[in-house]
Amino acid sequence: MPQTTIYVSPRSLGAPDSRPPAVATTDLARLFAGSAALAGVSLNVEAGRTIALLGPNGAGKTTLLRLLATAIRPSYGRAEVDGLDVDREAHLVRARVAYVSHATGLYDDLTARENLQFAAAMLATPDAAQRVERALADVGLAERAGDRVRDFSAGMRKRLALGRILLGSASLVLLDEPYAALDAEGLQLVDQLLAAWREVGVTVLVASHATDRLGPLLDGAVLLERGVVVRVEGSGATSVAPSLPVARRHSTRAVAP
Amino acid sequence: MSALRSEAAVALAICRKDALSELRGRHATVSTLFFAAVVLLLFGFALGPDSARLAAAAPGLLWLAVVFAGILAMSRLHLLETDDGALEQLALYPVGRRAIYAGKALAGFAAMLLLALLVLGAVGVLFAVDVASAWAPLLATVVLGALGVAAVGTFYAGVTVRLRAREVMLPLLMLPVLAPLLLGAVKATSAALAGDPFGEVAAWLQLMLAFDVVMIVAGAATYGYLLED
Repeated sequence: MPQTTIYVSPRSLGAPDSRPPAVATTDLARLFAGSAALAGVSLNVEAGRTIALLGPNGAGKTTLLRLLATAIRPSYGRAEVDGLDVDREAHLVRARVAYVSHATGLYDDLTARENLQFAAAMLATPDAAQRVERALADVGLAERAGDRVRDFSAGMRKRLALGRILLGSASLVLLDEPYAALDAEGLQLVDQLLAAWREVGVTVLVASHATDRLGPLLDGAVLLERGVVVRVEGSGATSVAPSLPVARRHSTRAVAP
Repeated sequence: MSALRSEAAVALAICRKDALSELRGRHATVSTLFFAAVVLLLFGFALGPDSARLAAAAPGLLWLAVVFAGILAMSRLHLLETDDGALEQLALYPVGRRAIYAGKALAGFAAMLLLALLVLGAVGVLFAVDVASAWAPLLATVVLGALGVAAVGTFYAGVTVRLRAREVMLPLLMLPVLAPLLLGAVKATSAALAGDPFGEVAAWLQLMLAFDVVMIVAGAATYGYLLED
């Protein structure tokens, strides 16, 4: 069972108001085989906010998250995380961003504990041994810590991937469909994590279709369609109309901050 | 200095992770050793029972078996990173690309060293070659040969790991590049087994060392680009 208070260790973040935008993109676009998965997104997200990325399949939510995580490079435009360019300063951005995608990035032949120990070594986590045990307990996998991940269900793998984030000190957390494959306890775990990150001022961008569940945990939401922002709701995020020709063609509705 | 220490810690963590995965899954060990044994036996059958002929061919057979089986081992070691997006996650950690290359190459070196020592022992038994009397130069040859195959194999396994035809592409890319190393290793082994009558072992070992240094530097400098999508 997850503990009631989840331990998250942010870097020294300072007051949200005094920080630069956690995310600032200008005409950000990414092409795959000539087709625009992201067609020119200009988006600002204030530090410390929890923002949902909404939209149908193929809207560009995952592409936007992967660009911000430095997993792929922009085709056009630019993106900054905490004022750092994701393309030119990717190595610095990686120290500030935690990303959990559809794929969990776990090693099947290692145990849950060994997977987190490896992640702790990569993240240079202080007090790694204690933090690993704490993270395993926080995601409800303490009793299965010595089992190989190969034998885990999809939901347990997702929990362990979320536990990996708890070992770092990211100022921006990117989650792609975090509720997918989780049971009731797992769903509650994600809610607790989102609340804990909000409490310590970590910025969270979460792509999800679970809008009803996410609603109370959000500051705002960004709706994407066909690779462009078509609507922004709530507070914490703003967007301007796209200027790239390809984005104007894709954009069917005015952007309303 | 602390940056160097931190890169070394990252490389060791990656090497340890690969070793643990291999010990548990035995993805590379079984297939690689079996393949090396088959190569030696088939070449032995093809050459016939003449012991002098087998002994003369032993250095070449040793290194062909090590290189062929080594290509398989390097491929299997990189396939660990295809588990559920592991390669992308590895690339997203805030660590130097050189350290990732060093960790993967170190794990490859350990696997290649073990493989080469086992194949050397098998050659000694199967082809009646006295490897014990020339152990020092043979050990140096094996270490440098294993390091070279690991350095080249880590880079090209990184090139091909995302390809569908990786099992075909890896040997096609690696074998031409490994030719100088193979030549040096075979010549050094032949000379060592003959008692080094012309004092040429050192020169061949120097060639292998130079090859290893060039390949390690080139691999460390360029491996990061392979991690980008």
